[in-house]
Amino acid sequence: MGQADSITGQDLREMFAAATDWLEKSAADIDALNVFPVPDGDTGTNMLLTMRSSMEEAYQASEGSASSVAQAMSRGALMGARGNSGVILSQIWKGLAQGLAQKESFTGSELAAALLQASTVAYKGLSNPVEGTILTVIREAASAAQAHASNVSDDVVSVMEATVGAAKESVANTPSLLPVLMEAGVVDAGGQGLYTILEGALHYLKGEVEQLKLRRPWMIASSVPLIAKVPQMVGAEEVPYGYCTNFVIKGQRLNPDKLRKRLEKRGQSVIVVGDNSAVRVHIHTLDPGDIMSYVIPLGTLHQINIRNMDEQYRDFLEMRRERMPAVDIAIVAVVAGEGLSNVFTSLGATAIVHGGQTMNPSTKDLLQAVDSVVSEKVIILPNNKNIVLTANQVQSLTTKTIEVVPAKTIPQGVAALLAFDYEADLETNTQNMNRAKSAVKSIEITRAIRSTRLGGLDIKKKQAIGFLDGDLVAVGDKTDAVLNEVLARVDLDSAEVITIYHGADTKPAEAEQVGVTIRQQHPQLQVEVVPGGQPHYNYIVSVE
Amino acid sequence: MAVKIVTDSLGDIPSEVAGELGITVIPINVLFGTESYRDGVDLTTDQFYHKLMHSKTFPTTIVPPLDMFVDIYNKLAEETDEIAVITNSHKLSAAYEAALQAKELMKRKCRVEVVDSLWAVMAQGLIVIAAAKAADAGASLDEVVALAHFNIPRVDVRMVLDTLEYLKRGGRIGKAQAFLGSVLKVSPVLGLRDGEVFPFARERSRAKAIDYLYNFAASFSHIDEMAVEHATTPDEADELTERLSSKFPKERIYRSKVSPVIGAHVGPRVLGVAVLGDK
Repeated sequence: MGQADSITGQDLREMFAAATDWLEKSAADIDALNVFPVPDGDTGTNMLLTMRSSMEEAYQASEGSASSVAQAMSRGALMGARGNSGVILSQIWKGLAQGLAQKESFTGSELAAALLQASTVAYKGLSNPVEGTILTVIREAASAAQAHASNVSDDVVSVMEATVGAAKESVANTPSLLPVLMEAGVVDAGGQGLYTILEGALHYLKGEVEQLKLRRPWMIASSVPLIAKVPQMVGAEEVPYGYCTNFVIKGQRLNPDKLRKRLEKRGQSVIVVGDNSAVRVHIHTLDPGDIMSYVIPLGTLHQINIRNMDEQYRDFLEMRRERMPAVDIAIVAVVAGEGLSNVFTSLGATAIVHGGQTMNPSTKDLLQAVDSVVSEKVIILPNNKNIVLTANQVQSLTTKTIEVVPAKTIPQGVAALLAFDYEADLETNTQNMNRAKSAVKSIEITRAIRSTRLGGLDIKKKQAIGFLDGDLVAVGDKTDAVLNEVLARVDLDSAEVITIYHGADTKPAEAEQVGVTIRQQHPQLQVEVVPGGQPHYNYIVSVE
Repeated sequence: MAVKIVTDSLGDIPSEVAGELGITVIPINVLFGTESYRDGVDLTTDQFYHKLMHSKTFPTTIVPPLDMFVDIYNKLAEETDEIAVITNSHKLSAAYEAALQAKELMKRKCRVEVVDSLWAVMAQGLIVIAAAKAADAGASLDEVVALAHFNIPRVDVRMVLDTLEYLKRGGRIGKAQAFLGSVLKVSPVLGLRDGEVFPFARERSRAKAIDYLYNFAASFSHIDEMAVEHATTPDEADELTERLSSKFPKERIYRSKVSPVIGAHVGPRVLGVAVLGDK
């Protein structure tokens, strides 16, 4: 096509036929995005089958007007809708057809108006619209189309470009709206499907035939980083999810709104769409028989499809496992402070046991954490010299294989965790982590709880004291001054990275200042100041 | 008639090496919006990465039209009756697919074998170079293809990145997703496994990450070929090559630049080592 003032019915049909082929290329990838608790079978496949049904009908449309093609697409989609996202997609086409009613062809602004109508109708079909799904994507795409058409250009291709651009951003943003997506580190599958359809249509409009043929749709990466927690997700495997139940009722004087209200009491993820002669139902229920008996008096049932969601979920987990590095080793770390917990989880720790100096966890606490992870092999990072022995006890209480990497400080624990290799076996990992932990120097600054004399130093109660790798080496009134004194004992010229974790009792501004001073004195160092939030220790510093 | 070797530009084979060994390189370019960009022709490398860092739109990869593959096959078929095409991983681009399809469309009678290297960058490049050397020495098409398959599991590559941001933006992050979200600043070391991006290590500093590259290359017990490549940091590449010369003759270490397509996904300060050999 290329430049176009308006789109005819034939263009509409061809562009979505191209979009269907485009979607087909990534249907399997979209299936892989699926995430509990909205198990919808295979979203990509379902949307593809819905589109196929839609296009079959469109090719049978008697007239060539945009209006009648859109209506045929809508009808085909309703009859062929599969799964949650397929049903919502059918509502999008229904809205689009309403928006294009009576139109022989349409311009950019008319397309934008029809997309807005599509968004409205899609929301209406659901009893409980959830944001961060295909709904958000159609809404944001439609409003971008509208803004573009009224402020920039009425050109149909450029409106479609704006629509696709907004859809892409919207998809990338879905994990920040829907926590389950964030947890799984994926974007919404239905949203990705819709984006792919719109993108395929745009390629057609721009005449990019080669691209349609040779390239594959790109899967949008989540704009929110994935915190890998695969083992916990697998742990949720036991919960029963029931049956994903789909069917069409044909009859007379059907009332979709009333039926939706009735069905809401009988299941979850209820979608009821259609008109007074045909209604499509999608519902998650523990008892599909109950639903069937309830609707059978209303008319005849067609396209009945009941799928066991537990099986779907298992398939999904299997797929997830393939997508992530195969981690059969879990890491349990003992950490105090929110900031430090974030550091450990962001680097791949599977479970955190709260504890540290003066809050030593019991063997039972550690055992519980070990039991809570699915992996049969567990590495424990005690991160404190008083916890190493406790950690060593865990092996005698569990059938799992336990390795303790005896990190005695937080910096040692971080260094060990960073050395974890997704490819390596337990033995190699233990060796690598032990080696890595020994390569860092740890500095800890805290306040004395009583007056004493130690290591040749007179210490008064509440004075700041500084430890270097566990040895008391400095004392003073101010924590930052003591930290500088300890740092002076380390050969910083041969160091590369200094990380300063400041504790709950330390003002962030003071910590930043410490960082600035070190940077000035040693410009070759990479200095990072991180809020650790740990109790008791004003500063924990690692020198690598 | 010697077997002709064809590959794509994701293999990062330096043009003088390609010329010397008679390797035909099919260009895979990037497109910024509507502007196509060819490395060193339309923009300098620095201009390209400046654009990458500051442009809102992410560049897209353009596999050349089928016609170009067909034309190249037809043209080579005037000189030979056996062509080996070794492409980058089918999981990274559509080149393999296009190379296969083009085979059906060529007019001249000529045997064409297409091999999916399952690699990119100089890991792919070294497989192709080894194939070209064999072809030069008189190997038949079957022998060249067998050698390529033999070498696919013998090659490996590691690359140090400054950030995972570009991989994420480009949607090709693969299993390196596990490295996202680190609270601490880390230098990720990535490679490819089964044709996909794979996370190997995280180092706290770039210097340590470069040590990792050295140790990776040094861990091979036998080395057939080696390559060091970079995008915008020639000095680091020089230094690393110098260090590696204790393991492998410096004059035999190929020096190359990461193609813009890969560069767009890994970011400007990428530095990598590829080795063909035995571990």
